Amino acid sequence: MIALRSFPVFAVVFAATFAVAYFVSVDRNYALFTYHPAIYEWGLGVQKAKDGPAMYWFGWLATSGIVATVAGAVAAWLPGSITRRLWSGWSWAVPVAVMVAFCYLLRGYFLR
Amino acid sequence: MFTVLLIVHGLLAVALLGAITHQALSVWVPARKPAGSFIGRFRSVPATSYANAIVVLYLCTAALGAVIYTEYRVSIRVVLEQLDLWKANGAFELKEHFVTVGMGVLPAYWYFWRAPLSGEHARTRAALTGLLAFVVWWNFLAGHIVNNIRGFGS
Repeated sequence: MIALRSFPVFAVVFAATFAVAYFVSVDRNYALFTYHPAIYEWGLGVQKAKDGPAMYWFGWLATSGIVATVAGAVAAWLPGSITRRLWSGWSWAVPVAVMVAFCYLLRGYFLR
Repeated sequence: MFTVLLIVHGLLAVALLGAITHQALSVWVPARKPAGSFIGRFRSVPATSYANAIVVLYLCTAALGAVIYTEYRVSIRVVLEQLDLWKANGAFELKEHFVTVGMGVLPAYWYFWRAPLSGEHARTRAALTGLLAFVVWWNFLAGHIVNNIRGFGS
């Protein structure tokens, strides 16, 4: 029952934190692991390309998933008196802002 | 093997596109009276019943896309760069990031679509649905364009 009551807090904080953490992970390349698709090899942390490209997307996903899960769990654990005023709109407003930020980050592809 | 996966990925994406478009239209431009036209009937679906299917379809489509993405990174992106197709390349890069951001909102989307629907969160529900609809449409079109450039049999 408590878990169900806290779930909206977890979900809203997770959505907002996940988007921001993912953007930071991409921008600063905080990948938890690297995949080398040409040689089917996984490696811990950020690794340089070897025999083909290196893929960081899976690592960024893991980094932001862990950060957002921890942030959401902490927020859900806080007393209701603190979380009651949490605006549910953060769950979409922050992700939308992050999507716009990605358009800016990748503008080089469209301005060549 | 990747061709089969790409076709299944595309079929799942079509199902997801239909479901999220039905739901988004029924939320953003709901039918006010019994619908007679095709568009009217398209808008007057019971939107709540789509939520679970949309979450499952989104996750399955993204998971398959993640598998195919490895092949894209090795065989396709390099060619797009060599052909100076930067806009198509950028559209696909955005697809990758948009789908990830969309994954992050799924728990909130699922929660706010749980029955009985809360009137208090109607705007949040509509915004989350609109966001996911945009992501799904963008990804469908970007994937389709890249597939047309360097897809099946090329």
